[in-house]
Amino acid sequence: MEKNHLKHFDLDLYQETLPNGLLVNIIPKPGNNVYATFVTKYGSFDNVFVPQGKKKSYEAPMGVAHFLEHKVFEQKDGEDPFAFYTKNGADANASTSYLRTCYLFSGPEHVEENIEYLLDFVQNPYFTDENVEKEKGIIEQEIKMYDDIPYWKLYEKNLFNTFLKHPLRYPIAGTVESISKITKEDLYTCYDTFYHPSNMFLTVVGNVNPDTVMDCVRKNQAKKNYEKRGPIIRKEVEEPDRVFKKQEEIVGDVEIPKLSVAYKINAQDMDKNRLRNYLSFFFDLRFGSTSLLRERLKRENAITGGFSIDIMEAGKHILCMVSVDSKKPEYVLEEMNKEISDKTITALEVERKKKTLKSACIYQSDSVYSICDHVNSNLLHYGSIFLDEYSWIDSFCLEEAEEMISKITFEHQSSVILKRK
Amino acid sequence: MKYHKIEKTNYHLHVIETDKFKTVFVRVNFKRKLVKEEIVFRNMLVNVLFESTAKYPTKRLMEIQTEELYELGYRGSNYASGKYSIMGLDAIFLNPKYTEKGMLEESFAFLGEILFHPNVDKDGFAQEGYNIARHSLEDYLDSLKENPDSYAHMRLLEEMEPNTVLSYRGCGYPEDLKKVTRKKLYQYYQKVLKEDAVDIFVIGDVKAKEVEKLIEKYYPFTTRNYQSDSHFYQALKVHENVLFRKEEADLKQSKLLIGCQIKKATDFELRYVLNVLNYILGGSPNSKLFQNVREKNSLCYSISSSSQPLVSILTIKAGINAWEYDRACALILEQLEDIKNGKFEDKEIENAIITYKNSLKSYEDNPESMISLYAGVEYLQADTMENRIKKIEKVDRESVIALAAKIKLDTIFFLEGKEEYGKESFETF
Repeated sequence: MEKNHLKHFDLDLYQETLPNGLLVNIIPKPGNNVYATFVTKYGSFDNVFVPQGKKKSYEAPMGVAHFLEHKVFEQKDGEDPFAFYTKNGADANASTSYLRTCYLFSGPEHVEENIEYLLDFVQNPYFTDENVEKEKGIIEQEIKMYDDIPYWKLYEKNLFNTFLKHPLRYPIAGTVESISKITKEDLYTCYDTFYHPSNMFLTVVGNVNPDTVMDCVRKNQAKKNYEKRGPIIRKEVEEPDRVFKKQEEIVGDVEIPKLSVAYKINAQDMDKNRLRNYLSFFFDLRFGSTSLLRERLKRENAITGGFSIDIMEAGKHILCMVSVDSKKPEYVLEEMNKEISDKTITALEVERKKKTLKSACIYQSDSVYSICDHVNSNLLHYGSIFLDEYSWIDSFCLEEAEEMISKITFEHQSSVILKRK
Repeated sequence: MKYHKIEKTNYHLHVIETDKFKTVFVRVNFKRKLVKEEIVFRNMLVNVLFESTAKYPTKRLMEIQTEELYELGYRGSNYASGKYSIMGLDAIFLNPKYTEKGMLEESFAFLGEILFHPNVDKDGFAQEGYNIARHSLEDYLDSLKENPDSYAHMRLLEEMEPNTVLSYRGCGYPEDLKKVTRKKLYQYYQKVLKEDAVDIFVIGDVKAKEVEKLIEKYYPFTTRNYQSDSHFYQALKVHENVLFRKEEADLKQSKLLIGCQIKKATDFELRYVLNVLNYILGGSPNSKLFQNVREKNSLCYSISSSSQPLVSILTIKAGINAWEYDRACALILEQLEDIKNGKFEDKEIENAIITYKNSLKSYEDNPESMISLYAGVEYLQADTMENRIKKIEKVDRESVIALAAKIKLDTIFFLEGKEEYGKESFETF
C-alpha cells in the first residue's frame, strides 16, 4: 500500500492495485461519515467495442450502460441491496454518465461490512428475462420525467444537432424505443467486458482506518476468480468537425424562450487537458458572473438569470455549451458570437481564476462527497490522482492561454432555441 | 465543538466553535409572521440586496470582489417555517488560516456591506439593480409550470387549504408584485431592520468573542427582538369527502399527488413518530411505496412520501403514465392502509431509527446542517442532538399505528400529461 500526501486537500491518500487489477484509493478524513464509490470506466460513450472473448465488434443498444446500472442491483438470492444498506443505516445509490458508472453508499457505521457488500453486489448481479422486462417500465418513466424538463430537452437536442456519429449525440439513458429492445444477453455482454476489476476502481473517503479497509478489500477480492485481461478494445468513431445542424427552433410549453449554443472545437493536436482548463477560464470570462456581456444583457432585460457553461470532451473534440433563458434569443446569440470573437485575456484575469481554483480545492476538502468526486474525476480524465493540484494550477499562465485560444476556432457551432408553440 | 448563545438587545448571536471545518459559515436570519402580501416584498428584497451595494454598484463588481475574497459564497433565501417567514442571508468563506490575515474581518464586512449599505438614491433602491431584481422575479412567477414536480406540489397544497400559511406560494403572487415600487421596497427594508427578530449563526474555527466584536463593528442592528409564538400550524378545515382535482399539462409523464392531514397529533408524534412512519411509507428505496409501486409493479421511476410536521401534513408523489392512474392510486392508498393496520415489520421501525440517528451524525460533518439544527432549537424548541437520539428510540409499533389513525386522506391532485409519446423530439434517430 502506497501512502502519499494530497497537498491541496491536506489529507493522505493510500493506494494499492490488487493482483486482479482493481485500484483501491483510501482517503481518511476526520468526521463521522464515510463515502465509498465503486466505479467502472464504462459509460454511454462505450457503445461499440469487442466483447470479452470475441473477435468481432459489437454495437450496444442505446442506453445499455444505464440499464445495466439499474439491473446490477438484482441479486440471485433475491436480497435487495437497498434493504441491506437500510439495515445498516446507510444510503446507497448509483449513477451513469458518459464516461463511467458509479455505485456508492454513505453512512457512518458498519464501514467494512458496507464496503464488502458494495464489492459483492456489484460483482455478482443476476439478470433474467423477467427482471429485465420488469425494469423497462421503470426506466421508461425515468426517461419521460427528464423529457418533461425543458432544459433537458434543449440540451439533448443541442447535442444531437452538434454531432454526427459520436455517442455524445444520444441521451445516456437511451430512448423508450431503444431500451425496449435490450435483452439479458446485451447486459451480460457489456457486464462481462466492462465490470472486470482491471477496468474499475474503489474510492473510500471519510472516518476510516486505511489498513483495515485495505485488508478487507484485499481478502474480499482474493476470494473471487478473475482471469487476467488485456485492454478493452473500444471502437472510436470518425467524427467530422462540422455540425449536423447549425440552427433549429423547437417548441415546448415554456413562458420564457431558452437558448443553447454548442461550440465544437477540434483539439486533436493540442494538450486536451490544458486546453479544457483554458477554455473554462475563457468562457467564464466571456459569459460568467464577472463578464461584461452578462451585465449588459441583464441591464437590457435580454436575459433572465445567467449563462450556464458546460465543457466536455468527446473524442478529439472539446465541446463548450452555453445556455440561457432569453426573451430575445436571436439577438443574444448574435451578441454571444461577437463577444467570443474577441480572444483577449489579461494576466490579471488568469491570476484571479487561479486563485478561485485553489480556493475551490480547500472548500472541497471539507466534504467527503466533494473529495471523492474530485479524485474520481482525476482518474477518469487524467488517469491518475493529482498529488499536488496547486502546482498544476500554478502552471497555467497567460502566454499559454493566449497561444492555445488563438489556435482554436469557434466556427463549428450549433444552436437550438426552445419556444412556445 | 462548543456552542455559545449571546443575547444582545437587538439580536441573538449563536456561535458554534469547532475546528472541524476549513470554512466559516455565517447566516443572518430575519423572522416575522408570514403574511401573504409580504412574500414578494421579501423575495424582492433578497434579490435587490444581492444585486448591488453602495460600494459595489453592479453585480459584476460584487462578483469580482468575492473572487478576491478567495471565492466567498453568498446567497439569500426566504422560506416559510409554519406560521413564520424567515429570510436568511448567508456567507461562506475560507478560514483565514488557509488564505491570508485580515480575511475574517473583510469577509464579515462584505456581508455587512450587503445588509447595511445598499445601493440607494432619493427614490429608494437604485433603479438598475431594482429592475434586474424585478425582472428576475417576474420571469420566475411566469414560469412555475416549467418544473412540473414543484408545480404539482404547490397546486396540491392550494387545493388542500387555499389562502392559508399551509399553501402560500413561496415565490409570492403577481398581484402583490404590482404593488412593489422602489420606494415601497426601501421602506419595507427599513421596517425589516426595525421590526424583524434577528438571529445570527456562525460556525467555524473562530472565537465567539472575536465574532461578537466583528458583528458589533459591521452589523449596526437596531431591531428589537420580540417573543415568538409557536411556529406550528394546523389546517382549519379538512375535506370530509376526499377532494379530487385534475389539471391537464403538456407533459409526457403525469404527476400524482396525494395530500393527507394529520389531526391532533401530539408534540412527540409530530417530531418523532411521524419521521419513522414517513420513512416506512415512502422515505427510502426500501420503503413500502418504492418496493410495491415501483419495484413490484413497474408503475413509476420516482415515488416518495414526505412529512411536513410544522403544518401537520403528509404528502405522497409519483410520476406515472396517465392511463395507469387508477392502479397507481389504489396501490399507494393500500400502502397507507397497511400501516394503519399494522402490516409492517418491527425491523422497518429499527431501520428508520438507525437512519435517523446516522443522519444526525452526518449533520456534524456539514456546517449548514449544524446551523439548521441550532436554528431548530431556537425557533421550534426542538430537542438538542443528544435528546433527539434518546427520544427517537422511544418510537415503537404502537405509536406508529396510533399516529397512522390520525392521518386522514384529504386531497388527490392529478397533473395529467397530454403529450403523446414519440410525436416529436427524437424522430430522427
